[in-house]
Amino acid sequence: MAMARARSEKITRAIGSVVLVLLIVWTLAPLYWMVTTSLKMPDEIYGEDIPLWPRNPTLENYRILFEQTNFLMYFRNSLIVACSTTVLSLVLSSLGAYALTRLQFPGRRLFARGLVYTYLMPESLLFIPLLIIVVSLGLQNTHQGLVFAYLGFTVPFCTWLLMGYFMSIPIELEESAMTDGCSRLGVLYHIVLPLTVPALAVVAFFSFTLSWNEFIYASVLVSDVDVRTIPTGIPNFIVEDVFFWGPMMASTLISAIPPLVVYFFFQRYLITGLTLGAVKG
Amino acid sequence: MTTDNTDAGGVAYEQPIPLWERISNSRRALAFVFLLPTILVLSVVVVYPFFFALSLSFQDKTPGVPGRWVGFANYIELFGNSEFLRIVYNTAFYTVVGVSLKFVLGLSAALVLNQKRRFNNIYRTILFVPWAIPTVIASLTWLWVYNEFNGLLNVLFTQLGLIEYGVAWLAEPRLAMWAIIAVVVWNGTPFYTMHFLAGLQAIPKELYEAAEIDGAGTVHKFLFITVPSMRTVFTITVMLSTVFTSTSIVVVNILTNGAPAGLTQILPNFSFNLAIATGRMGLGSAVNMVLFPFLMIFIILLTARILRKGGD
Repeated sequence: MAMARARSEKITRAIGSVVLVLLIVWTLAPLYWMVTTSLKMPDEIYGEDIPLWPRNPTLENYRILFEQTNFLMYFRNSLIVACSTTVLSLVLSSLGAYALTRLQFPGRRLFARGLVYTYLMPESLLFIPLLIIVVSLGLQNTHQGLVFAYLGFTVPFCTWLLMGYFMSIPIELEESAMTDGCSRLGVLYHIVLPLTVPALAVVAFFSFTLSWNEFIYASVLVSDVDVRTIPTGIPNFIVEDVFFWGPMMASTLISAIPPLVVYFFFQRYLITGLTLGAVKG
Repeated sequence: MTTDNTDAGGVAYEQPIPLWERISNSRRALAFVFLLPTILVLSVVVVYPFFFALSLSFQDKTPGVPGRWVGFANYIELFGNSEFLRIVYNTAFYTVVGVSLKFVLGLSAALVLNQKRRFNNIYRTILFVPWAIPTVIASLTWLWVYNEFNGLLNVLFTQLGLIEYGVAWLAEPRLAMWAIIAVVVWNGTPFYTMHFLAGLQAIPKELYEAAEIDGAGTVHKFLFITVPSMRTVFTITVMLSTVFTSTSIVVVNILTNGAPAGLTQILPNFSFNLAIATGRMGLGSAVNMVLFPFLMIFIILLTARILRKGGD
């Protein structure tokens, strides 16, 4: 009986190891191809005999990317848009979450429900009217227009996430501060926010990556090359150049770095942000 | 309510109370001020656009020209077209197969990562990486992996002697949709793995120990402890993912944009092409509104679930 169980446990573990290896290969293969291509010279990328690894690793593709394409401009635009969205989402969602958890007012529950609805409303349903609205506000081809549109999906999610954390802070702390003469904003700034730093980190991470990755709004609301962000900028390398795959893979590698860095940095906090399906997958 | 809230700091109670102080002393007024920016933003970029999209679907609208009401003409045009019915079928196929594969792979990954093994942290970090890769970046990378002449798949398979000539993965009618789904699965599996791993770790160990004393085997424990305990996690994950998968255009837009012959076209990307490339905004909105009732079912169920979960 015990021996049978030990044997079945061994088999399960062996199967597990095989599955694990397969999953790792499947996960890393395209990334391997991305990295190695970015380090190859054109004769190893195209042609008759294509090696699976770079024989003479070179940074030539990165030089071309930086000197001959608009990549740095796209990268800068993406940084501006993602950082602005993150800061504004943090401010709006902290204020909103505080009001929804601490200031009793009629219609509070209805409002919270509305937030979930707005979060689940897909962008692909809204981009046509949004284009008309943004044009009429004179915000087409501006970073402000993009940031404004992105707040539509970052704010509901971030507010919802923060509400959960704010509710876990004992209200006595705030009450005693207020009897000491602290204002509501003071309580939020001096007591609530410092206690929710991990939650704020998660909120910042999601706002940043969601706006860094966004594609539909970016292609609809911006047509001007100077304002394009990475997701709508770099696919155009395909049209612009025949031998583009080297620089293209260099650009995808660099564009994946900011979210990856944030991911490695915040990894241990992220699991807590999962209750609402933090990143769309 | 009026003056008793001004603190004892020597403020003469005869003076009029400043506006800000009056607001901050009333919970309702303060809540309204705190929520005002959120209300403004969400009204302009989510709520109003939604009703606007609905009304556009009954209009003939092109950029720069005011819309003209046409009743159900857009819907009649769509459903009279056999190509459109094909796109509806594609969307259903793409969503169901994509979600199912992500579910199976995500559950396998979570079960494996939940086993005791050395360096598990490293394996977990690796398997989560595609989740942090932007979908546009993932799509461009896979476009290169699928390349007919120089892509990884064809280079590898030719060198292994499995194929003689490169396969056009994205142009072959029988393969194209599967190639698209593979990218969606690659990028979206970690979302499932994370949810499922968190769910597995929340199952009390005592349940398994008790079952072992009763002589339950691995399969038995999985079917009668793991699966029932994970039911909520399963439903929430699948519903969220269905909404996000069926409405995401990135992978299709970058890899094939619907080619070959519309075989990989899905509703949201079709709407995108109609509204942006050909300027038929009314018809494009009607396409989205065909998908919307199905989404609405999931959105209502999900909201109920999420609120129940967040309520305690």
